[in-house]
Parts: sequence; structure tokens; C-alpha cells
Amino acid sequence: MPRRLQWQVAEVSDLIEETPRVRSLALTLPDWPGHKPGQHVDVRLTGEDGYRAQRSYSIASAPEANKVMLTVERIEDGEVSPYLSIEVRKGDQFELRGPIGGHFVWTAAQGGPLFLVAGGSGIAPLMAMLRHRAAVRSKVPATLIYSSRSFEDIIYRAELDRLAAADDGLKIVHTLTRRQPAGWQGGTRRIDRAMLEKEDFSPAAKPRVFICGPTQLVETAAQILLDLGHDRTLIKTERFGPTGG
Amino acid sequence: MQPATDDAPLDGNAAGGLLSELFAFDVTAATLICVGCDATGEIAETKVYGGTMGALLRCAHCDAVLIRLTRTPRGFWLDMRGTRSFFVQPPD
Repeated sequence: MPRRLQWQVAEVSDLIEETPRVRSLALTLPDWPGHKPGQHVDVRLTGEDGYRAQRSYSIASAPEANKVMLTVERIEDGEVSPYLSIEVRKGDQFELRGPIGGHFVWTAAQGGPLFLVAGGSGIAPLMAMLRHRAAVRSKVPATLIYSSRSFEDIIYRAELDRLAAADDGLKIVHTLTRRQPAGWQGGTRRIDRAMLEKEDFSPAAKPRVFICGPTQLVETAAQILLDLGHDRTLIKTERFGPTGG
Repeated sequence: MQPATDDAPLDGNAAGGLLSELFAFDVTAATLICVGCDATGEIAETKVYGGTMGALLRCAHCDAVLIRLTRTPRGFWLDMRGTRSFFVQPPD
């Protein structure tokens, strides 16, 4: 029987600037049972006056990595995000519990194909899946469609390029919705039916679909894939609130 | 994942931590049936309102309240009158 979740103290062992607005935190945890790609943790901050704020963050690292990594987007009026994305320093400690979640989860043993759709920092749990897939040298065909606002806002850009270059079975399609650099070859609009139809595995291939991002992107993409004939039970979604925090 | 607010619901994935304080294992993948519309879905697929002190889970199809979980200083109130059936598969 799995043990109950307990709060524990996480220590920040490394900080990685991913984009101007997004940073990743590598954490050292005294008691980590391991996780599955797609799971998340709860983070709890307690102020000096005892006020507590709590938020959930997806785990971005693969289970095979020796660090648990969270990726946090800066949200100006959030309660937790400003601390994690701006103030936090190496050696800082905060409370964390996890891993949490059994729905939005994929391991290579479940097979594929794997069809991933991400918007903004919604890439984090999908990155855990791609990192896991690479770590175990899975041959499951995988496609990622990733919507960002601009080229500078693409989280994990260099690592995604490396993963795709080293693996014929992995296809990564970027779309930039607000601003594109000169000579941009990728998409230039929000994820829509034409984009999903063009890049998608056919419903007959029974791809496992994971969609994560802002609510509107998630609902739009899920509905399009249902309309295209995908099995509802194979489409897993995780939505961000539009404001965050 | 980021937080839910009153006017911007998240999905049931976000309630996983809170529910884990009550249930012996993860229930976000548990299946439930809505009293209001008979729809079947996983907790992760519901709409979640609320925060750390409690959560309101609404049916993604008909918006009826499925589960109301309230944390008090001494314990929890769990109101499941909107849920007709609840299937949990223990993890491997």
C-alpha cells in the first residue's frame, strides 16, 4: 500500500533561467519516492505572520534524473510564483508534498504513439514525458506541438532541438502566436484544426494524447481531436488557470 | 499547473493533493458518475473551484456539484451527494 503524502522541506540546489519569464528550480528532497512523468507537487509557502499560500507545479524532470525539477512562470500578481520565479536563491527551503496525480501520467511501458500538445509553461509535464522517453531510449513515436508567444518564450528550446535532432521518432512543431523572428519556418498562429490535422497521428493509430496549457488552448485542442475521431479515453488534459499565481 | 480561482476553474488534477489528505491513495484517476446528468468521468476531468482550504468539484458536462470538500481546523467535511458512484483502482 502506498504511503500517505507528507509535507517535506525541499531545498533549492540549482536555478536555471529558461526564458525571460520562466525559471526552473532543481530541488533536493530528503524523502522522494520517485515519480511518474506528468505528476505534480504542491508547494506551500508560510510567511512570517503564519500566512500560507499553496500552489501546484508540474514536475518537469524525468524520473530517471537525479533531481526533481519544477519550472515556474512569473505571474506578477500571484502569491507563490513571484517568490519562486524571482526571489528564490540557491539554498532556500520551502515545503513540498508529492508526487501527486494518476490521470495525467505517461510512462514508456504504456506505449504509444505519443501525441503532446502544449501551450506556454504547459510544456513542463510533457517535458517530463519526453525526457523520460529519451532516458529509457523508448522507440514510441512521439510528436509535440508547442505554442509559445515568441521565439524567446520557448521554454527548453535548446534541449528540445537536441532531443529531436538525435531521434527520428520524435517530431517537434513550434508555433509562435505573437511575434516571429525573421525567416521563421514554424507556425504563426494559435493551435487550430488544420495544425492538429496536419501533424496528428491518425485516430486509427490510437495515439495517447496529452494536452496541457491555458484553459482555452486545452479545451479547443481536445474538442478538435474528439471531432477528428480520437478516443475520448485516450485524451488526457491538464488546464492552467488564465491568471496563475 | 497553476492555481484555481473562483472565476477560473482548474481541473481535478489540481485537487489531487487535497484529496490525498483524505484518501489512502491517489484518486484523481478515480471514476465517478454524476447524479445530475449520468455522465461518467475521472476526477481529473472535473472542474475544480477553490484552494487550499477546500474544493468544489463540478461536473464538466452539466456543472452540477459532484464533491464538496471542506477542511476545518479539526478535520474534513466531505459532501458527495452529487456523485452517484465512485470507482477507485488502487495503484500497482
